[in-house]
Amino acid sequence: MIVRPVRSTDLPALFQLARSTGAGLTTLPANEERLAHRVGWAEKTFRGEAARADADYLFVLEDDNGEVVGISAVAGAVGLREPWYNYRVGLTVSASQELNIHRQIPTLFLANDLTGNSELCSLFLRSDQRSGLNGRLLSKARFLFIAEFRELFGDKVIAEMRGMSDESGRSPFWESLGRHFFKMEFCQADYLTGVGNKAFIAELMPKFPLYTCFLSEDARNIIGRVHPDTEPALAMLKGEGFSYQGYVDIFDAGPAIEAETAKIRAVQDSQVLVLAVGTPGDDAPQFLIHNRKREDCRITAAPARLAAGTLVVDAQTAKRLRLSAGDQVRAVAVSARG
Amino acid sequence: MLVMRPAQMADLTEVQRLAADSPVGVTSLPDDADRLREKIAASEASFSAEVSFNGEESYFFVLEDSESGRLVGCSGVVASAGYSEPFYSFRNETFVHNSRELKIHNKIHVLSLCHDLTGNSLLTSFYVERPLVNTAWSELNSRGRLLFLANHPERFADAVVVEIVGYSDEGGDSPFWDAVGRNFFDMNYTEAERLCGLKSRTFLAELMPHYPIYVPLLPDEAQEAMGQVHPRAQISFDILMREGFETDHYIDIFDGGPTLHARTSGIRSIAQSRVVPVRIGEPGKGGRPYLVSNGQLQDFRAIVAELDWVPGKPVTLSVAAAEALGVGEGVSVRLVAV
Repeated sequence: MIVRPVRSTDLPALFQLARSTGAGLTTLPANEERLAHRVGWAEKTFRGEAARADADYLFVLEDDNGEVVGISAVAGAVGLREPWYNYRVGLTVSASQELNIHRQIPTLFLANDLTGNSELCSLFLRSDQRSGLNGRLLSKARFLFIAEFRELFGDKVIAEMRGMSDESGRSPFWESLGRHFFKMEFCQADYLTGVGNKAFIAELMPKFPLYTCFLSEDARNIIGRVHPDTEPALAMLKGEGFSYQGYVDIFDAGPAIEAETAKIRAVQDSQVLVLAVGTPGDDAPQFLIHNRKREDCRITAAPARLAAGTLVVDAQTAKRLRLSAGDQVRAVAVSARG
Repeated sequence: MLVMRPAQMADLTEVQRLAADSPVGVTSLPDDADRLREKIAASEASFSAEVSFNGEESYFFVLEDSESGRLVGCSGVVASAGYSEPFYSFRNETFVHNSRELKIHNKIHVLSLCHDLTGNSLLTSFYVERPLVNTAWSELNSRGRLLFLANHPERFADAVVVEIVGYSDEGGDSPFWDAVGRNFFDMNYTEAERLCGLKSRTFLAELMPHYPIYVPLLPDEAQEAMGQVHPRAQISFDILMREGFETDHYIDIFDGGPTLHARTSGIRSIAQSRVVPVRIGEPGKGGRPYLVSNGQLQDFRAIVAELDWVPGKPVTLSVAAAEALGVGEGVSVRLVAV
């Protein structure tokens, strides 16, 4: 498996993937025209022709037969072209010592606070491929790329995690809040943001802070909580140093987690090494390895051994990276030790 | 004969009997001897004060059966609502959330906490015993105050407001309070209104939500209760609506009852009442009921009388009526048709 930049020849495969995601992945709409547009932008981005505000680093996961089985992306910056909205979960205290009252009411403040940060988005792995290192490779490859091209990204990286919804895709948060202002189904609103109709959010959402006591109990209970299917992804990103700082999605109240770019484990711990081809050994740890290229970026996961400034990998891995012994790589252990 | 006059300290016991039967939302009539004593004392001071513009005065009237000395009703006017502290109301507002692109045009009803009505004169403390409901004496008990305003315009503001008690059920629960205030106080409606009567409404109002409340988020029962009148306050509401008070702009922050307001000069009993010289004699046959007041301050009196009066002419009062009003031949009274 390798992670590489998307190409326009991947479009049919991408469309297939998009159709299988269901609701909840706003950045991968199942719309051929929009997808083609997005892939076009991604190609420009990897060629270095897009401003950070427009940069869309869209990667695909490709197996050794050349089949695309997953995607992931990083946006150079959010909110620099159109406003980027989150709710900040703040607190209102209603208190009187004389009356012996102390009420804490979580309150949602519409905010553009996350503007300018880079965003991890569009992670999707075909269900029959969710095993081994595939998920971690697909997600964490982005950190090696960010580490290598640090100047292309913001000081913080954020990720919006999918919020709670029931089996039929109904979000209790949407039912209790958004529906009153949009008069449309959650999946329709979600689709509209996915295809880039973000301005309508500003036009239709409540501008004043919202006391959560006016939401349904179901809605209150899921603010900042992820969909069960997203728990593993959340755990993985937390392991990389991401944390929840009180920002949630305005539609489904899923958490927007964040990390300082330089302090993401896979960024901070990654190092530039010289590739050696040999036998890493049976007990060699798993590494993420990047060929240090942008347009011809290739990132894979493989067992490797550090030896005197070199990274020893097997011949197959070098072949996947299209590198030879003596070439430079950027590498980091797949997961934190211990 | 039922006579309206300023309350005196000697009325305290009788006033408390009336207060005890008054609906819980009439916080200006707490069933509490100390508060009522203060109220009467403040009123006595106000009637005797020399006043050139409306300030902290409050005037409290009782309706007395002159034969038995029994009190059957009471009412009051506060010269300036919120004289020493802000007077809170919810203002009904409409926000338009519009998206041209999506062809969505939503009118969103919000309630904004405001001080708009601070400084207006405030009608308070209306109570009549149940047998008097829907009689001319209810009109006297309410509108007698307006004749007093007409006689002493320098003592009052140029706008008058009145908070009508809102809907609560037989168990004393208010759906509006349960949906709004309760979240911030953690006490039931009856308890909150009791505290309002004992402390001050402002004291509690300061704990209320300061950001606008989006009405569509409130439960249906709470929305229906907005602007609804408590069955026992209907009489007061109906009288004042006929006087030309307007509703719809403001509601009470606790129970959602309507807050009525009017320009002082446009109130029917003020605009249409006439000051007429008195003759004492036998009132002619075929008369109609009038509210009649003298022009006094501490000796203010108002009654209901059947009069055969021709506009532009003096009015003929019976000896009993003239005695009740404390007026003699040639003195002027103010009168308006019931």
